[in-house]
Amino acid sequence: MHHSIELYDIHVKLGDVTVLSGVSVEAKPYEFVSLVGGNGTGKTTLLKVANGMLRPFKGIVKMVGHELWQGANGNNGVRKEIGFVPQRSVSRHFPMRVDEAVLMGRYGKIGLMRKPSRQDWDRTHEALEIVGMTGFAAKLIHELSGGEQQKVALARALAQEPSILLLDEPTTYLDADSQSEIMETIHRMHQERGLTTLLVTHDPHWVEQYSNKVYLLKEGKSHLIRQKA
Amino acid sequence: MSWIGSLSFPFMQHALVGVLFAGIAFPLIGVFIISLNLIPLRFAMMHVALLGGAIGLFIHFDPMLMGLLLCALSALALGPLSEKTKIGLGTISGYFMTLTLALSFILFYKGKINVIQAFSILWGNIFALTAWDLVIIGVVSLFVLCIIFLFFKEIQAILYDREIALAVGIPEKSLYYLIVFMLGLTIAVSMRMIGALLVDAFVLLPAMAAGMIARSLKQSFILSSFFGLVSGMSGLYLSFRFDMPASSTIILVASFIIALSMLFGRRFTRA
Repeated sequence: MHHSIELYDIHVKLGDVTVLSGVSVEAKPYEFVSLVGGNGTGKTTLLKVANGMLRPFKGIVKMVGHELWQGANGNNGVRKEIGFVPQRSVSRHFPMRVDEAVLMGRYGKIGLMRKPSRQDWDRTHEALEIVGMTGFAAKLIHELSGGEQQKVALARALAQEPSILLLDEPTTYLDADSQSEIMETIHRMHQERGLTTLLVTHDPHWVEQYSNKVYLLKEGKSHLIRQKA
Repeated sequence: MSWIGSLSFPFMQHALVGVLFAGIAFPLIGVFIISLNLIPLRFAMMHVALLGGAIGLFIHFDPMLMGLLLCALSALALGPLSEKTKIGLGTISGYFMTLTLALSFILFYKGKINVIQAFSILWGNIFALTAWDLVIIGVVSLFVLCIIFLFFKEIQAILYDREIALAVGIPEKSLYYLIVFMLGLTIAVSMRMIGALLVDAFVLLPAMAAGMIARSLKQSFILSSFFGLVSGMSGLYLSFRFDMPASSTIILVASFIIALSMLFGRRFTRA
């Protein structure tokens, strides 16, 4: 499969405000690409476009070699290949165990009206082990700290066995130790599983350390500001 | 007359069967309302059901069936309409609420519908359920139970976080619209049973009590059904025993269960 991210000439309006006006970002298979820029420059919006949560009014969104927006609601087959870690995990009271929250990553692949198999649970426990959360499996998700919840979000994305990983400032609300732990796990997964990764971040440290390519978003446009040879 | 003796009357048998179905199935919708914060939508649906009832009375057609039809149509329209117009579901629900209320009162006035008849829609009457009403309540209840059973894991993901549900490849939008649709149907049927203003007795209160104790979504659903059944049945019995209005007594019991859940819920969840 062609594990690439291809976003060409993306235009997005939120209400009357044009957030993106001709943004193009490309990540070749197995690349680690970072997206930087100030607040309100449309980084999260672009990630939502890449994930099929938001439909651009103009532009091409090709993920894993397929057009994402086929039909009114987008292509769910493509979405199943995209792991997504949001900026902040749900911390409100919701009665769900940690292992159930991770298993959710498998739901798209399991299919409608089917129960999770032994294999799905095995993938779930493997993902929990990778992020070092095996001992938390039976805890309730809202009982965890912000850093632990973020690890669960990462485990959910890994349990999905995606080809592409999209990360929306995954360390924003974490302390320095948790930030390092999460970013090291992300980088290890990127390398071991050969995931094409698109990271939205404010932190120049991680950008410098891991990225093959860096795009800057400014005034609705994208600029390739660094590319490793 | 004894409680057992009263069961020989068809109106009492109908009330019992109605409470059995509604007590089990309708609180499940309450779990959706709480988890997805659909309170404004529930309000709007109550008023749409009221308009349906008003139209029914105006054209001399079964008010419950008309309420059901109108709620079903509105529920099908509301979700996509809020998406298309980019207006939140809460805002568009507010619009529906005021519009339907205004239209209802115009119909009451123009149709010269007497106040007691009009208020029968607002208050409902559990002892006035017909066999046809029971068929509708039964079908809606089974529909709700089947959808939750068949799509449990997808529903769990949507209630947890709609964005995550979409991101993992679940047809989130279609299922969300289905939830809104079920909410519409349930509100319409509850209106006939217990009245538009007291719908919460069956729909919301048992789910609130369950939410204070449950440690999983499955437990939330099971407990809310259990509390719905207990409050419905015991409310019905107590209303007969102490000669009180059934709807209000059912609400009193449901409120008492919530108070108990508040007291003991934290103790359970710490276990």
